[in-house]
Amino acid sequence: MSHSITSDCMGCSACSRLCPVFAIEGERGKVHAVNQKRCVDCGVCGKACSKQAVVDASGKRVNKVPRANWAKPVINQGACSACQMCVEACTLGLIQVTLPQYRGSLEVYAQMNEPKKCVGCGLCARACPLGIIKMVGGEEK
Amino acid sequence: MTLPNYMKINLSTGEIAPYPIPEEYYRKFLGGKALAARLLLDLTPAGLDPLDPEMVVIVNTGPLNGTGAPSTSRFNLTSKNIATGGIASSNCGGTFGGMLRRAGYEGLIITGKAENPVRIDVSDGDISILDAGELWGTDTEHAQEKLPKHAGKLVIGPGGENMVRFAGLASGERMAGRCGIGAVFGSKNLKAITAYGTREIPIAKREKFYKFVKRWVKFLKGHTMTGDALPHFGSAGLVNKANATHALPTKNFQEGYYAKADKVSGETLAETLLTRNSGCISCPIRCERRVMMDGREVKGPEFETMGFFGPNMGAHDLETIIRLNWLCDILGLDTISAASTISFAMELEQRGIKDFGVKFGDVSNLEDVLRKIANREGIYTELANGSKWLSEKYGGKEFAMHAKGLEMASYEPRRSVGMGLGYATSNRGGCHLNGGYMALLECIGVLSIRPTDHRAKAEWTVFMQNALEAMSTAGCCLFSGQTFIPQILFNLGPNHWITRLLGKAAVHTGLVVRLLLAIRPIMLFNTLFLMPHAEALRLATGLPIFTGEFLNIGERSYNVERIYNLREGLTEKDDALPKRLTDNPQDPSDKNTVVPMDKLLPKYYQTRGWNAKSQPKERTLKRLGMIDLWQKW
Repeated sequence: MSHSITSDCMGCSACSRLCPVFAIEGERGKVHAVNQKRCVDCGVCGKACSKQAVVDASGKRVNKVPRANWAKPVINQGACSACQMCVEACTLGLIQVTLPQYRGSLEVYAQMNEPKKCVGCGLCARACPLGIIKMVGGEEK
Repeated sequence: MTLPNYMKINLSTGEIAPYPIPEEYYRKFLGGKALAARLLLDLTPAGLDPLDPEMVVIVNTGPLNGTGAPSTSRFNLTSKNIATGGIASSNCGGTFGGMLRRAGYEGLIITGKAENPVRIDVSDGDISILDAGELWGTDTEHAQEKLPKHAGKLVIGPGGENMVRFAGLASGERMAGRCGIGAVFGSKNLKAITAYGTREIPIAKREKFYKFVKRWVKFLKGHTMTGDALPHFGSAGLVNKANATHALPTKNFQEGYYAKADKVSGETLAETLLTRNSGCISCPIRCERRVMMDGREVKGPEFETMGFFGPNMGAHDLETIIRLNWLCDILGLDTISAASTISFAMELEQRGIKDFGVKFGDVSNLEDVLRKIANREGIYTELANGSKWLSEKYGGKEFAMHAKGLEMASYEPRRSVGMGLGYATSNRGGCHLNGGYMALLECIGVLSIRPTDHRAKAEWTVFMQNALEAMSTAGCCLFSGQTFIPQILFNLGPNHWITRLLGKAAVHTGLVVRLLLAIRPIMLFNTLFLMPHAEALRLATGLPIFTGEFLNIGERSYNVERIYNLREGLTEKDDALPKRLTDNPQDPSDKNTVVPMDKLLPKYYQTRGWNAKSQPKERTLKRLGMIDLWQKW
């Protein structure tokens, strides 16, 4: 089971705009639906929904969380191998491998370029084979 | 154990149905090219033309694809080889493989022919055949721009659409170049495949697997080849090394040394046009070159491309090489075969046999030539058929540098006789990687096993072929296997007496290698330095894969591909090299600078457990658990 949307939805599309895997469909003004096959249970839709119309996998309503409190990835850059798994995982294109500081330098690593745009889905942390991306913050307040 | 999900798609009827993989196949062949070759034997009748609508093309992955283990983005394409008539397999490091698995499938089996240009879309387990009319005619770059942004993509360019015999496929900027599978796509009116999904890739022992991956990445980073040489210079760093040992093909393999090779070397590239290094998804080695071309950053050339568009054409213009490499990619052409065919045409011109408007030392018009080849315009439609076809029409078989019909890579076999044996015996034709990449141990690596000595080469070739084959099957890049050369040799350096002594002594290790091959059943261990892939496979699949079984998978793959070739009518006579390499010494004063096929081949067949007709013996197949394929040729 994954996240789903109840009939409380007013069709504002806030969730479908933010869903990192494009799993939410629905016309504006009408009840939206989550594509169960694609949903990765990241919970972004629930955090964004002002109507609390999203229920999680266990059937519990998800509370809205102010965007400033959403979890953000922190990359342990010293241990990063620049394998780009997180770069591919971030569909918003916010993570990139840094440019070398001088010609021939191999000291490059993944970096979050626009943390303000990050929705805190955690897909990068899930994708990292070295487990060096930690999602920090995001406690419900 | 989770069996792989395969779907069969018939483009003629639009039928899409699951194709269950028997557990026995999975245990014995795992995935990738090995499983694909086994399936191809089942799915196609003997003698089917590669461009026949009924021909099958298999796009599949290995158990490590998409898991994030180091260098595991390599997915496979298998079909019948348009250039050789035998097996075709091609390997690509784009994002498509991992994405296909996330979209729900380990492999797609495509057959039939669509009436109009189509593309296949795989989304979260749902497969649809969509119209691709507006994509048809576009190059691989523009076609991919028009496809869904986040999907894994696999497209052909004009080369594939026009069924150029060396047409490849692109996934992002990565190419599955060899064997002309792009032409098979083109013959089916299939322009592209896209995949997107979020399914979690099954890993049997997830926690242990990722713990091992951490150790593996650290090991790769600490090794001179994978942590230093390849990231700094890419495979292009081999130009100077090959040239120093006279193993750099020059003017269509007429010579093995090019005086100005340094101008097109990885070192020069690193000092001039290189902006940075990059890599395929999941790869910590990062050997890809990013270079400047006309004010934009593009993918840089590999060693083979540099060697062939450079010294092999008697030229040394780095900027032109970069442009031609990029052009081949967007046209969907294999750089090795395209450049080698043009080199052959240059020699035809040099000898006054036929003038295609190309000549040694002049690469200024090649952009135009490549475009005309891809579009099969005018006389260039003949070049689009490859060097074997040309040599059959115009003569010059002794200097048409292909094996079985597939053009060789830019390693001169007369200064690397094991590589020569590899080219000749490789199932897909003159391929250095399928051939065992003995050049690494003979002329371009830290260790140099007397390049012109035939002793022990057959045994090492078999060992290397099996190992590389197994890595491909897993979904790994072969560069991740370079760590099996002990780091201590790099610390000592190639000129240290121990390294040189080892190189000299290695020609007496034939028996040792045969012993190694023989004791496989008791090789019930996995080590990080020898074959880390085996341990990764064991943890990912949950199957008891140890080093011995890992090598077995490679050998099964080699045998099943050979059986396919035999069934399609290839014989031991096709395990041959052009006469230039076997009869004309590279250095006229040293008669050893030829490839002694008469000495190498019988030893090779014997080590493989094949008879003199290159057919696997009954006991070989029994040992490999493939007795059902006995005499299926």
